[in-house]
Amino acid sequence: MNVLELKNVTKKFGDFIAVDQMNLFIKEGEIFGFLGSNGAGKSTTINLISSLLRLSAGDIYLLGKNIAQHRRFAKMNIGIVPQDIAIYEELSAYENVRFFAGLYGLRGTELKKHSEEALVFVGLGDKMNALPKTFSGGMKRRLNIACAIAHRPKLIIMDEPTVGIDPQSRKYILQSVRQLNEMGCTIIYTTHYMEEVEEICSRIAIVDHGKIIAEGTKEQLTNIITDTKEVWIEVKAIGSFDAEVVKQMKGVNSVRVEEHVVQIISQAEVTNLHEILHYMISQSLEIVSLKEQAPNLESVFLTLTGRNLRD
Amino acid sequence: MEKWVLFVKGILLFYIAGNYVQTEEVHYSWVMVSFFVYIALNVALYLVGRLSRMFLLLGSIILIVVGSIHGYALLLLLLPFSVCEVFDGKAPHVIVLLVVSLLPLFFFDIEPFLYSASAAGSCLLWKMNTTYYCKLVANEQQLDQLRSHVQRLNVQVHENEEDRKQSQYMSRLEERNRISQGIHDHIGHSMTGALIQMEAAKTLMMVDQHKAKELLDNAITISKEGIEDIRLTLKNMKPPIEQLGVQRLKQKLDAFTRNTHIKTSFVFSGNLDVISALQWKVISENVTEALTNALKYGNVTEIAVSITVYNKLIKVVVKDNGVGATKLIKGLGIVGMEERAALLHGTVIIDGSDGFSVTLLLPHERS
Repeated sequence: MNVLELKNVTKKFGDFIAVDQMNLFIKEGEIFGFLGSNGAGKSTTINLISSLLRLSAGDIYLLGKNIAQHRRFAKMNIGIVPQDIAIYEELSAYENVRFFAGLYGLRGTELKKHSEEALVFVGLGDKMNALPKTFSGGMKRRLNIACAIAHRPKLIIMDEPTVGIDPQSRKYILQSVRQLNEMGCTIIYTTHYMEEVEEICSRIAIVDHGKIIAEGTKEQLTNIITDTKEVWIEVKAIGSFDAEVVKQMKGVNSVRVEEHVVQIISQAEVTNLHEILHYMISQSLEIVSLKEQAPNLESVFLTLTGRNLRD
Repeated sequence: MEKWVLFVKGILLFYIAGNYVQTEEVHYSWVMVSFFVYIALNVALYLVGRLSRMFLLLGSIILIVVGSIHGYALLLLLLPFSVCEVFDGKAPHVIVLLVVSLLPLFFFDIEPFLYSASAAGSCLLWKMNTTYYCKLVANEQQLDQLRSHVQRLNVQVHENEEDRKQSQYMSRLEERNRISQGIHDHIGHSMTGALIQMEAAKTLMMVDQHKAKELLDNAITISKEGIEDIRLTLKNMKPPIEQLGVQRLKQKLDAFTRNTHIKTSFVFSGNLDVISALQWKVISENVTEALTNALKYGNVTEIAVSITVYNKLIKVVVKDNGVGATKLIKGLGIVGMEERAALLHGTVIIDGSDGFSVTLLLPHERS
């Protein structure tokens, strides 16, 4: 079942086209990564999904319903963690969550219970009555997340939730994203940090100039560029090394020896490094260094767009 | 909408007639004449050209004025509508229209409230009418444009399909030609040679066995070479699409440099064999478009074109060193590139942040 579906979604600001006929679907239980450099149109797309901006053209369906016609339904089933922290410094953590959950449509005892649970979930259970102005950046981010999840939405959208925070909080946030996912939430995660996407996302779309230029699992995306990986092994002396033996190993495409360096190109999805090293050690070759280059999302992005993610 | 206009005029006429019957005024003939002539004029409006229409409208205005002076004052209620109609499609602001139609209030003796209401109603209706009409015309025009656009695209799809078939056929022909040439030039000759040697050996067999053996050895060598030739001819059967595509693109770039004195460079890497004839066509058209764009807008002195074939993807980049553009406005050229790319399930990325670059991404056709 598709939790979210975008059909020919377009957003124009005057002559500028921020989102250009985007087509996309997100299945239930996915952590969907939205990857793109600054200004690629990620936040605009998210604002369109959350009805903060009006579509110039196209349709967005949430759980099969067009969000333009089912605004209340959309509001109750989407939770947004905005890029800029949106909390009231003068209200306590609990009051903040209660306020936002109330906006999403919760009432009464349910509101109270869910608000508390959300705070406990993000690890702020003992800080319920503290004011956010006493919080660190990471804690504010977590509070921001609690505000978005208290009403138990089906779809949680996180717009760069780890910008400018300490490594510990980042780890905590990534962990809670996974936890939310295990609890049945579908998550859209936008970022320009490649490592985060590689770590948690089950499917990824690369966005550039308002278009999705590639989409799939990490493996599918890297496979667009190449289906091989390279290993360089430097040894002290080449001795009795026989390239033909390595060539026979599974997945190996080619072996080249240059002075003290052996270059092995093999299929990306095969793991054969163990076997290769085992052979080299059995020939009593002394290994000085080892370098592996497998395609990653960074190189996919660079190849497709010609630019680095953080330009 | 014309029905509405007629309908409202009819209602006004009925109202006036009803009121007239209840009054004791007498100018019977004047009123009747005014009524019928007014009806005649207003029906005729829809049967004549633009200029005559103006005359008819002026006529009915005069008629209303004269009729209301000599006959029945309430006839003046019909005036605002005719005044509005004089403005036709070039409707001025509704306030101006209203003021103009209210002017008679100062010259004629008529109940101001009734007249004002009628004038306001007429003006509003007329304004609505013209606005609606304008929108209708605009929509029709847009629809027409879209239709012709669809038509154009259809033609293009058709042409591309034709092109593909054509080039497929051509490459097959060329291939057949090359093979028959190869058979004739090499294999035919060596077979004949071997045959002659064997015939000679057969004759010599009884006389000079040593010589015969030599000849047979010769024949065997020649046959071996022949077989090798066959193998080579078959192996070289690679379709020439790749060489053709690269060659054409190079020629195009060279011609561009000659005509414009803008330096161009061209590099390619990866296995170009996977690029199909149709993909070459799109690549070539998009590169041409990008070159034209660079020439038109860019203040450019150098253009680099590259084709890279990846595992699942063909990437073509045309990048110049010009001023680029911070704000992109999609013109027909860019839309055309996108449409051609979309035909082959590809995308176009346009970037103006560092010079101007157009990137075409096409998936491999067989995948």
